[in-house]
Amino acid sequence: MKLRTIVSLVVVLSVIAMTRVGVGAHHSNVAFAVETVLEAKGVVKEWQWTNPHTWLIMVVDDGKGGKAEWAMEGRAPGVLTRAGWSPKVLKPGDQITVHYSPSKDGSKVGMIARVTFPDGRILPNAPPGD
Amino acid sequence: MSSKISVLVIATLGAISALISAQTLPDFSGVYRPINAFGPAGGGGGRAGAPQPAARPAPGQPLPPPTRTAPLSDGSRGRAADAPQLTPEYMAKWQAISKARIAGDTSSDNTARCLPPGMPAMMNMAYGMEVMQTKDKITFFSELNDALRRVYLDGRKPTQKVLDDPTYAGYSTGHWEGDTLVVDTVALRDNSYIEGFSPHSDQMTVRERIRFVENGILEDRITVNDPKALLKPWETVKRYRRAAPGDDQLREFACAEGIEHAK
Repeated sequence: MKLRTIVSLVVVLSVIAMTRVGVGAHHSNVAFAVETVLEAKGVVKEWQWTNPHTWLIMVVDDGKGGKAEWAMEGRAPGVLTRAGWSPKVLKPGDQITVHYSPSKDGSKVGMIARVTFPDGRILPNAPPGD
Repeated sequence: MSSKISVLVIATLGAISALISAQTLPDFSGVYRPINAFGPAGGGGGRAGAPQPAARPAPGQPLPPPTRTAPLSDGSRGRAADAPQLTPEYMAKWQAISKARIAGDTSSDNTARCLPPGMPAMMNMAYGMEVMQTKDKITFFSELNDALRRVYLDGRKPTQKVLDDPTYAGYSTGHWEGDTLVVDTVALRDNSYIEGFSPHSDQMTVRERIRFVENGILEDRITVNDPKALLKPWETVKRYRRAAPGDDQLREFACAEGIEHAK
């Protein structure tokens, strides 16, 4: 009984840890292969408008009929505002395509190059002229 | 009589000259955006260029995929030709940091941990700069990490107490040489970087010559001295463009909100 309680606790804690998906663990370009850019299609779960970096939590089709949760790191709110973003620019349920650089450690964390909506609108990661 | 007139003329000319120079001191106040913050003109330090700007597609054509997300900043391509020339001791430190960064270790990234960028790296001003100027003090604010430095213009000098208490921005005093503000910075912590992640010692000092090179373009010519870390003084030039109306506000950075303990 006691062992079962401990096992349950470990499972619960692991699930909590996994839902964080590495958010807060990066905040540095160094964690990403910045010269590789991949594409992910999925649905917005959460859009966190925070410094030093923003976070886009999204559910991505894994290509095998399953789904996986990814944390995509964006630049700071200040620079993204100048690039056309806002706290409300992404909403849960939005269908999006994200170009991103993968994490060097292979986790489901990426750094955003840009976000594209189904109607072709693009959110770039730099203001025009920067 | 004529000598009295001469004295009067000289005194008058002196007064007029003093008045003109006081009136013509440039006013750097305002918001600026960096010109090529991470490119070749932005100094070396191991960075490899800015993110690629999005190309403009032909009407009706989709944009090509981006080729990168950020400047390469782990040193995996070695050091830029214009990077600070480090002594063997400090080059070994740089190589150790680079090895860790290539492996994805972010612990060397001070600003990502919400520490100030420190001088002189602070003057990259990647997200924008606001300058506030009075007769006795000029203040430089960086949107990146809400970093701030003050340059005292009232003739005060760093005391021993100041020298014994190093900070990231250091202690800056300045004076005008014509239209150029000359600034000396001392009392700098040794856990920041000169540029990129080039390390320095606690003996680093910085001299800057700041002036308008053309209307609305501010230039900062920076010379870094460090007898322990540098083989020779390192020079770099930063330029900033006065922000256009509608793009002339900086945003709060509040870095700590993204750190776990602040939530």
